[in-house]
Amino acid sequence: MSAPTASRPVGVDLQENEENRALVEAIEADNDDLTIRHMPGIIRLTKNGRLVINQASVEQRLGRPWETHEFQMAIITYFGEFVEWDDDQIVIAWQH
Amino acid sequence: MQIELRTQVIEPERKTFTNLVDRFGDRPASRYEEGSIDIQSVANFHYRPLWSADHEIYDADYTAFKLEDPYSFTDPRQLYYAPYVQSRAAMNEAFVKTIDYVEKKDLLQKLPAGWDALVGEVLVPLRHWEAGAELVSVEGSRWAYGTTIDQCCVFAAFDRIGNAQNLSRVGIVYGEGHDGALAAAKQRWLEAPEMQGLRRLIEEVLAGTTGQDYAAKLLTVDLTDRLIYGLMYNLLDEAALTGGAGAYSLVAQHFSSWFGDQRRWIDQLVKTWFADPTYGESNKAAFDAVLATRWAQIVEAVSDLAAAVDARIDAGASASVAASAAAVAADLAALGLTVPGGN
Amino acid sequence: MTVSPEKPARKLSMKQRYSALTHDLDWAPTYVQEEEIFPFTTFEGIKVHDWSKWEDPFRLTVEAYNKYQAEKDRRLYAVLDGFAQSQGQVGLTDARYMNAMKIFLQGIPVHEYNAHRNFSYLARYANGPGARFAALCQSMDELRHAQTEIHTLSHYNKYFDGMHHWHHWTDRVWYLSVPKSFFEDAMTAGPFEWLIAIGFSFEYLLTNLLFVPFMSGASFNGDLPTMTFGFSAQSDESRHMTLGLEAIKFMCEQDEDNVPIVQDWLDKWFWRGYRLIALVAGMMDYMHPKRVMSWKEAFELYFEEQMLNGLFKDLEYYGIKPPRHVQWAIDEKEILSHQVYWVLYQFSHAAAFSTTIPNAEDQAWLEANYPETWPVFKEVAWDKAQRVMDAGGRYFNPGLPQLCTVCQIPMGFTEPGNPLVQCQRQSVYEGERYDFCSDGCQWIFDREPTKYRQAWLPVHQIFQGNCGGPGGLPAVAEWYKLGPNDGAEYLGSNDQKNWLAWHGQTPKEA
Repeated sequence: MSAPTASRPVGVDLQENEENRALVEAIEADNDDLTIRHMPGIIRLTKNGRLVINQASVEQRLGRPWETHEFQMAIITYFGEFVEWDDDQIVIAWQH
Repeated sequence: MQIELRTQVIEPERKTFTNLVDRFGDRPASRYEEGSIDIQSVANFHYRPLWSADHEIYDADYTAFKLEDPYSFTDPRQLYYAPYVQSRAAMNEAFVKTIDYVEKKDLLQKLPAGWDALVGEVLVPLRHWEAGAELVSVEGSRWAYGTTIDQCCVFAAFDRIGNAQNLSRVGIVYGEGHDGALAAAKQRWLEAPEMQGLRRLIEEVLAGTTGQDYAAKLLTVDLTDRLIYGLMYNLLDEAALTGGAGAYSLVAQHFSSWFGDQRRWIDQLVKTWFADPTYGESNKAAFDAVLATRWAQIVEAVSDLAAAVDARIDAGASASVAASAAAVAADLAALGLTVPGGN
Repeated sequence: MTVSPEKPARKLSMKQRYSALTHDLDWAPTYVQEEEIFPFTTFEGIKVHDWSKWEDPFRLTVEAYNKYQAEKDRRLYAVLDGFAQSQGQVGLTDARYMNAMKIFLQGIPVHEYNAHRNFSYLARYANGPGARFAALCQSMDELRHAQTEIHTLSHYNKYFDGMHHWHHWTDRVWYLSVPKSFFEDAMTAGPFEWLIAIGFSFEYLLTNLLFVPFMSGASFNGDLPTMTFGFSAQSDESRHMTLGLEAIKFMCEQDEDNVPIVQDWLDKWFWRGYRLIALVAGMMDYMHPKRVMSWKEAFELYFEEQMLNGLFKDLEYYGIKPPRHVQWAIDEKEILSHQVYWVLYQFSHAAAFSTTIPNAEDQAWLEANYPETWPVFKEVAWDKAQRVMDAGGRYFNPGLPQLCTVCQIPMGFTEPGNPLVQCQRQSVYEGERYDFCSDGCQWIFDREPTKYRQAWLPVHQIFQGNCGGPGGLPAVAEWYKLGPNDGAEYLGSNDQKNWLAWHGQTPKEA
């Protein structure tokens, strides 16, 4: 049987640019044991189990209104599944 | 990356792609041309579709409306993907400003009684007409022969689902932020006698009760739209301003403005079909067939809608729709078509 | 992209709003039967009991879609315009890099467009409004990709050969029937198979193996427009991955009878997709002057690690197993790129790109990355080709290759574990013999022989006299509308001469 979902990696690749700085900082602040890897133009964020992106956390660091829909401007690719995408939070995890 | 400053001008080997040079001559091509002309495959298909043994993947025979050269039709708006989304983003932004303002000022809660009923019971249910029209448009996107027609169809489909979503937003604001008014509007769409003509029409078109020709279906919807839009977004826009229902006019302007844009490509397509050196006459005959099977039904369905308007406000809706129908019939007759009912 | 600070607080959640704006537009017809409106969703044997269970996590509205896509395009086209104005093509690592992008232009935009048309088909004929709207957005996205690719490469077409008649070649030239037959196979299947073939297998399972080599390769070789296009398209791709994953889960969850059908499709489309991407393997190991990673590394990271050890663990829950012929692909990773490029090298006189012998730097990289297999290829192929060049010639294969009936790649593959033995498989169906490059392709044929025997195999067509002539390859090249500078050998080519002139060098100085 597969390893429990809490211990399998999930992650997201974001465009590494000025605009996404606040987004990355918010994700870092809100997720323990996050691994960050830099590649040309890309920043890869991974952790085991669940990765959360909190709207309020991003908006506070960004200094202007930010809605979760805007996340798709930053994303390059991801692994895991979007198990939640609401006004306040996005969650990436494996379901099984 | 090293950047070298060039002191010589590098002459290009060619100005554009060969197919465009062959068609238009040796000149630079527009992005519309590069992204739309000759993109769809036309030759050497490997397999027949499992779902249609009689056709190829792309086949001019999915419709009775044909062009000797599919690219004799181009979109007069010159829309390819990038300018399309930019144009619609601007239109959406304008609509959002309107609906936010209407919501903030509770304008839909301050309508005179007849207009209030009109919005909840006649306007908002038309979100389902738009949803049905979207399906007809996207059907065209799959079966059209040639990229230029397909592209107009998929953009029309996205526009119509956008219209449906905008009418839904009107319904949410009308319902003071909840979706109760949408549920009521759907009930009217399903059950109110005045709506059944339109609902039956769109269901029959989607099912293909008079045939599966995507272009015939598009034209059926367009003929109906001409009457619906004339009623709901032109006549009533004017009536709202004199009837103390300014909010209606604020909303309606977005839809009539969109319809003006929509007409441009459909009118150009019909014109191109009728002017085709090989298929002009058969295209006209195909259009006549649409009129013979659907025109009376269309007029009756929108007349029912007009009667529903007249039951709620005083705007002369029925007379207006009758006049619109006559005007459309006259336009069609001027093109050489035969409109049933002798108009 | 500002949000009005005075926007009224929403009473509906994002999920409820999304539902009101998509699912709720739908209604059950009463004047006609539902099957008349949606006639294509039962013939494949897939059972759906509740379409409302289709999930779309992105929950886009038309407004959000237009807003964000418009912003992406503004940024992309600004880069394209800037690159053109500054004669950016001069800053590439080398002109021979463009051969990778010639294959890209000839092999991809038409099929992005095909995907657009077939997602329009799903947007019309899927019974569920959630699935339909997601398909409509993907249809729009694929049109975007087709056009942005063409526009991105349009600038290069002005300065390099092998791009000017791309669509004409896409539908005729031998190596391009590999992607053409792949996409047409998917388009001629039913809607559920399409979702597994393209939505899942291509857009989820294999997408990184296609895009990362091209886009990272662009970045490493000074191709700013392609790199920018790649980043711009990728955010659309994350929605596509989501749709594909949702498709496979939805089908498995709706009825357990669907699982074996889905598994068979997964097995078929992994193999067809894997063979399609063989062209990318050859391109990334041999056509990029500066390389990002080897095919072997890319396959290990993007498929073995991320998919087999990530995604498939998740799909185990449904009883879905890794693809049937996956071990064959794993066994091939050390030799695939070498076999493919050797084929391309031999036949580029009949192609719209040029090839050349790997130079000293290339060979050092190949040795370092394939220490066990490169020396064999060097000895049996490249040293011989070099001797021909040294004697003033250039080795081109004088004949025409046998193509695999299914994947349509020339039969240059070998038995797993035995790279010196040609792999040939055969099936006889209704008295005719059909040939295949592998167990995977044979298995695909044997499931649906009446489909695959229809194929327009380019070499068969040439021999049947349907591709110009008589007059051998020159007549075929004319029928293909290949210009004299569009293929063959890179050294001494028009592209190379121009490149040297732009940099103030003559061929002697190079």
